Amino acid sequence: MRNNVRELRSARGLSQGQLGEALRVSRQTINAIETERYTPSLPLALAFARFFGTSVEDMFHVDGDSEGA
Amino acid sequence: MSTEIQKVRNRRIHWALPALCLLSGIGYLIAFSIGGNLQLGLEAFGVMVVFAVGLLVFGGRSETIRGLGGADRDERFAMLDLRATAYTALVLIVAILGGFMYEVAKGHSGSPYLWLGVLTGVTYLTCIAVLRFRG
Repeated sequence: MRNNVRELRSARGLSQGQLGEALRVSRQTINAIETERYTPSLPLALAFARFFGTSVEDMFHVDGDSEGA
Repeated sequence: MSTEIQKVRNRRIHWALPALCLLSGIGYLIAFSIGGNLQLGLEAFGVMVVFAVGLLVFGGRSETIRGLGGADRDERFAMLDLRATAYTALVLIVAILGGFMYEVAKGHSGSPYLWLGVLTGVTYLTCIAVLRFRG
């Protein structure tokens, strides 16, 4: 599943470790999500969206969905 | 859960698995000693001590070792654990079926593989029945 976690994180000047600490997941999990090796659960996706002040649909996109939702 | 409580919990978990390894080692030592094989008991105890020390030394640096110990285990590691457990169970099921067929082919009753297979099947069906109601 495509996502723009890396862009949002970089824009805020956060490291993967800092973001992981804020969301109570490991740095490796943040890396796995950014590199699209792991799809987060709905609660974690919601936590991402709340943290960045956006919506889940704007952050996570199903492959092949040109609308990005 | 507050960060402080989480830290205390992680500290306890950090020591839990090494302590369990040491207890297992002591158990092996006692069991081998009762069976009259003190040398093997000491070797098994030594292996468990090395394992426990390895967990303590490398647990702080490796996500894998920390996750195995239960500390800092997030949803991704929980999923890895679940999948690893499923793969392990598959290997065990194949080994049990193979052992059962081998024993039966030799003209034996198939024990203990028969009972291990029954236990596995009953456990699986019970889990499916219970988990269905939990969603």
